[in-house]
Amino acid sequence: MRLASLFLIELVAFLLILGETYVFFAVVVPLGAVPRSPLDYTGYALLKLGLTFGLGVLWFVLVDSSARLYVKSMLKRRTPTLSS
Amino acid sequence: MPTGLADAGLLLSFLVPLAVVLLALPQFMKYLVRIGRVSKDVHKQTDSRVPEPVGPILVVAAVAGEFVAYAAFGSLVPIAVMGTAAVAFAVGLVDDIYVLGGRVKPLLLLLAAAPLVITEAVQSTVYNPAVTFPILGPTAAHLSIYTILAVAAFPVVANAFNMMDSFNGEISWFTLLTSLSVLAGVTLRTLHTSGLSLARVASTLPLVAVAAGFLVFNRYPSRAFDGDSGALFMGAMFACLAITSGVEVAAIVAIVPAILNSFYTLSSVRGFVERRRMPSRPTSLGADGKIYASTESNAPVTLVRLILLAGPRTEKDLVRDIVMLTAVSCALSFVISVLTWVV
Repeated sequence: MRLASLFLIELVAFLLILGETYVFFAVVVPLGAVPRSPLDYTGYALLKLGLTFGLGVLWFVLVDSSARLYVKSMLKRRTPTLSS
Repeated sequence: MPTGLADAGLLLSFLVPLAVVLLALPQFMKYLVRIGRVSKDVHKQTDSRVPEPVGPILVVAAVAGEFVAYAAFGSLVPIAVMGTAAVAFAVGLVDDIYVLGGRVKPLLLLLAAAPLVITEAVQSTVYNPAVTFPILGPTAAHLSIYTILAVAAFPVVANAFNMMDSFNGEISWFTLLTSLSVLAGVTLRTLHTSGLSLARVASTLPLVAVAAGFLVFNRYPSRAFDGDSGALFMGAMFACLAITSGVEVAAIVAIVPAILNSFYTLSSVRGFVERRRMPSRPTSLGADGKIYASTESNAPVTLVRLILLAGPRTEKDLVRDIVMLTAVSCALSFVISVLTWVV
């Protein structure tokens, strides 16, 4: 099945979207629901922004790494070595 | 609205654009050949020339379908979709004629969001400024944040569609399958949300019809190419439909192959680079007529190159693989729609 690895990358991207959505709702959104001071409010807002950005970066890094790993493994498989 | 009139509106929103494509495209193709607007089909060993761009007929068909939807349901949603398609088409046509730079095109495509934002200002129900997630439900409504993200989505999605337009039948299959996913999502949403008009379903049908009609001429071996004007307007229309229909998550999942393709390309060439100015090609045509992946380390990583690393393919088989990947993402998109609107 020549497309199996690519289906897997696609599935990883899909599951990350779902998983990160859950983390966003369950962890990021409730942070600092009742801020006690204006400083708290700003701090939590920045923390939420940072975590949301982090989730985005995590998606890109994992999906990019999976593709790079795939390219590397396929190129290695095609390159003749001394032992072959 | 009486059921019979709504049914007729839905039916005509599909049939009118389909008929425009099927009847007018052959004439327009002859016209393009007559004025010498033909492009070399680069993945063929023979010197095959194909009329390009047929985007003008596709956009006329889409606009006609949206006009029928507007006449039948009176909502401004089809007007927003129509305007978006027209602006993206204009940007694409300029690109077809003059070739825009890798950075200018995304900036100009931001303008495609203008009709959506203007119609929302006129009628505040054109889109809901909240994203509904599967099982978890909707986020809080944030008009300004949502609108900024929606505007930013247009160049991203339109370019992602444009980058899926390299092989015979690729863009038409891709648009057909992904627009069917949006149609499934918005239909489930309409059926399970009380008081929601069928206008959103009707405004999705012209894109399905245009893609289905175009597939007749664009499938392998292609008799017509849409050009950047065609791919960009279909991408922008898709983005507008996803936003106005409130099925953003399902739409994102449906176009995962295109997102991966754009992301890998941008990541490997480090930025917005026009494809004609890339350092090396991701694929090459072999003497046996098959397409090979480049083994050069600086070649862009594209979805097609990833597929071909497993071995060379004929163009027809390669497009079949892309369609398979798209079909899987569309199936996952349907799961998202069911989890969002039914469960």
